[in-house]
Amino acid sequence: MRATSRKPGKVKIQPPMTPMIDVIFQLLIFFMLMPTQTSEGYLTTNLPREQGPNPTTQKDLERIKIELVEEGAENQDVTIVLNDTLVLGSSFDDLEAALKGYRAEGLPPNHPVLIAPGMAVRHKWVVRAFDAAVLSRFTNIQFAVPG
Amino acid sequence: MARVAKSRGGGDVGFNMTPMIDIIFNLLIFFMLISQFEQLKIEPVTLPVSRAAEAKDPREYVNIVINIVKDPSSSYGGIVKIMSEVVSSDISRGIENSELAQLLIRKKETKGKRELNVILRADEDIAYEDVARVMLCAGRAGIEGWWITTTKPDKAL
Repeated sequence: MRATSRKPGKVKIQPPMTPMIDVIFQLLIFFMLMPTQTSEGYLTTNLPREQGPNPTTQKDLERIKIELVEEGAENQDVTIVLNDTLVLGSSFDDLEAALKGYRAEGLPPNHPVLIAPGMAVRHKWVVRAFDAAVLSRFTNIQFAVPG
Repeated sequence: MARVAKSRGGGDVGFNMTPMIDIIFNLLIFFMLISQFEQLKIEPVTLPVSRAAEAKDPREYVNIVINIVKDPSSSYGGIVKIMSEVVSSDISRGIENSELAQLLIRKKETKGKRELNVILRADEDIAYEDVARVMLCAGRAGIEGWWITTTKPDKAL
């Protein structure tokens, strides 16, 4: 505490500045560092164990296949092909709607979903496809890897 | 400031604990935050946007952060970096012979009891080929956890 000078008949009160500055610096550091901690999130998945196509089972034949094909100059764009037949253009909203449709038809959450991107497809499109599958409440999502 | 009780004929000097506790708390917060950054060893990358990603606490695991930054000499090539060091993910001589797989296998052997987790921080514009190679190496090393780091839509530039 800061000593206050007292004179007879005159009282001078000064607010203590030290703890105020102390707290302000603490808050400044807290708010500077917190945004970097909260802006990131994580998508979790299983890793492929082997290179190339695995032995195909009946369940694999029934899996949902999301194929991503690189398009445009320097492969900036992408085309989505669902189950080798349905071409969805580059609309990930349509992909999400189609996947939610499969769920509505009664496919369980653990039904396998395979994301098969072309090797030059940008990482952001792979994450968008993964995002669509997670938002459609599929849990068994796998990635195709180079053979 | 310390309040020193003064009385005539004798001085009673006491320690002021308040600033001491204050500084200890400051140091505690500082080292907690620094250790978090130190553990993650992050590189500046533009992360892909995800709406489905969850906030998780990586401190529960033994983590290896694999950064794939954009190769400035290529339009969509990536450079794999761990702890700021460039690591080769070339699998042309077999996955297990790659530098990355070897490094992950060694890390797995020395991890202790906690689960080993790979946190992938890949630039949004790199090709899937770079990510797939890292996935293969991590899979061959028997890594248990695989987290893809993303950013929230409102935080994207």
